[in-house]
Amino acid sequence: MAEISFPLPDLGEGLIEATVLEWLVSPGEQVERNQPLVEVETTKSAVELPSPQAGKVVRIHGGPGDKINVGEPLIVFEVPDNTAGIVGTVPKEEAPKRRVRLSAVLDED
Amino acid sequence: MSNSILESTSGESTAMSADKPVSVTVMSMQQALNRALDEVLAENPKAVIFGEDCGRLGGVFRITDGLQARHGAQRVFDTPLAESGILGMSVGLAMAGFHPIPEVQFDGFAYPAINQIVCQIARMNYRSRGTMPMPITLRVPSFGGIRAPEHHGESLEALFAHVPGLKVVSPSNPHEAYHLLKYAATRPDPVIFMEPKSRYWQKGEVDFAADGDAPTGSKVMREGRHLTLVAWGAMVSRCLQVAELAAEDGIDIEVLDLRWLKPIDAAGLAASVRKTRRAVVVHEAPLTSGLGAEVAQLITQSCFDTLKAPVERVTGFDVPYPSGDLEDEYIPNIDRILFGIQRVLEYKRG
Repeated sequence: MAEISFPLPDLGEGLIEATVLEWLVSPGEQVERNQPLVEVETTKSAVELPSPQAGKVVRIHGGPGDKINVGEPLIVFEVPDNTAGIVGTVPKEEAPKRRVRLSAVLDED
Repeated sequence: MSNSILESTSGESTAMSADKPVSVTVMSMQQALNRALDEVLAENPKAVIFGEDCGRLGGVFRITDGLQARHGAQRVFDTPLAESGILGMSVGLAMAGFHPIPEVQFDGFAYPAINQIVCQIARMNYRSRGTMPMPITLRVPSFGGIRAPEHHGESLEALFAHVPGLKVVSPSNPHEAYHLLKYAATRPDPVIFMEPKSRYWQKGEVDFAADGDAPTGSKVMREGRHLTLVAWGAMVSRCLQVAELAAEDGIDIEVLDLRWLKPIDAAGLAASVRKTRRAVVVHEAPLTSGLGAEVAQLITQSCFDTLKAPVERVTGFDVPYPSGDLEDEYIPNIDRILFGIQRVLEYKRG
């Protein structure tokens, strides 16, 4: 398994920090891409941050009221090594299916 | 730093044959490519690997996993998100005597680097009267099949093959991936190495020794008498499935893995189709001016007198590569390939 850290992104217009209001996920939880992770408050507004990826939450940084600087770790995910960072999905290996049958009289000249 | 891609390889079985040791390992294409790159770095001190996320993360597909930890951040490193810069730096490194092995993270990201590839990499050796060879191995995770967004499923082989000075190759399974990459990374010329990303996770036997199995030209993956399916990359395994199904109908199909898309193995094509006298070429790229046209012409040139029917093409469509939900309608599927075969089988001379 590989760990992937997601730092607090710049939430717009050069903001340098945000305050954690409420975590919506907890360590050990499996999250999906775009699932809301945390509600944070900046000097402009309160926003929910969607998860950048699917994975298991390993660690969260900061509790309610704590300030986190942009670029500092916010949350760490654990993902299987061979799919870490992948865009798209691993194709399933399926038994071949057909609807077309071949018919031919082959002259073996 | 995790080396798990390499370490999770299932146990290497080293058996003794009659006269020499045979080393065959079952691994995924990811692992085979990773191992090939690891060996290239160990064997050639001038080899360097770089690209977006290639260093610390080990690549979005884990192909360079663990290589930075083993070979150092001077030889395996991350670049900015700027493909033109990645390939421009490759030109400079090659001029300075290095063997760059850059990665463009996805096929569609090669477009911003086309100027460096076509105007510099492909012709620097020609321009300099052979004094500035460009030993660059450009790895491009290619083709579709993983339900990814735009620019992540395209087939650029015809674009690259059209450029004088470039060589183009695509492996179809882990064994081919290991040997073709090791070979490509020792060439004095630029090679575009197109990795079929939908096959990265599929495991297969890799014979590391593979004596007598030249990494050049095409390769017959299944012998047959009635018709030759010509394919490369991810389409080879699909054609092998089609051949199994066709056998149920009494049709004996040969599957030719073209492997090298520039230069194309005209002699290998001729040898196969002279025997079967029928051919269908299958590719994911759009039909018009696709490599299938080149293959059809080469077959016609060498086998015109004995062909039973015109060469058929089963390909993607002349549209931008669709989003993931429509992928299965775009990539040649088993039924479309079977229809192509049927059209050839029932062709009657007028």
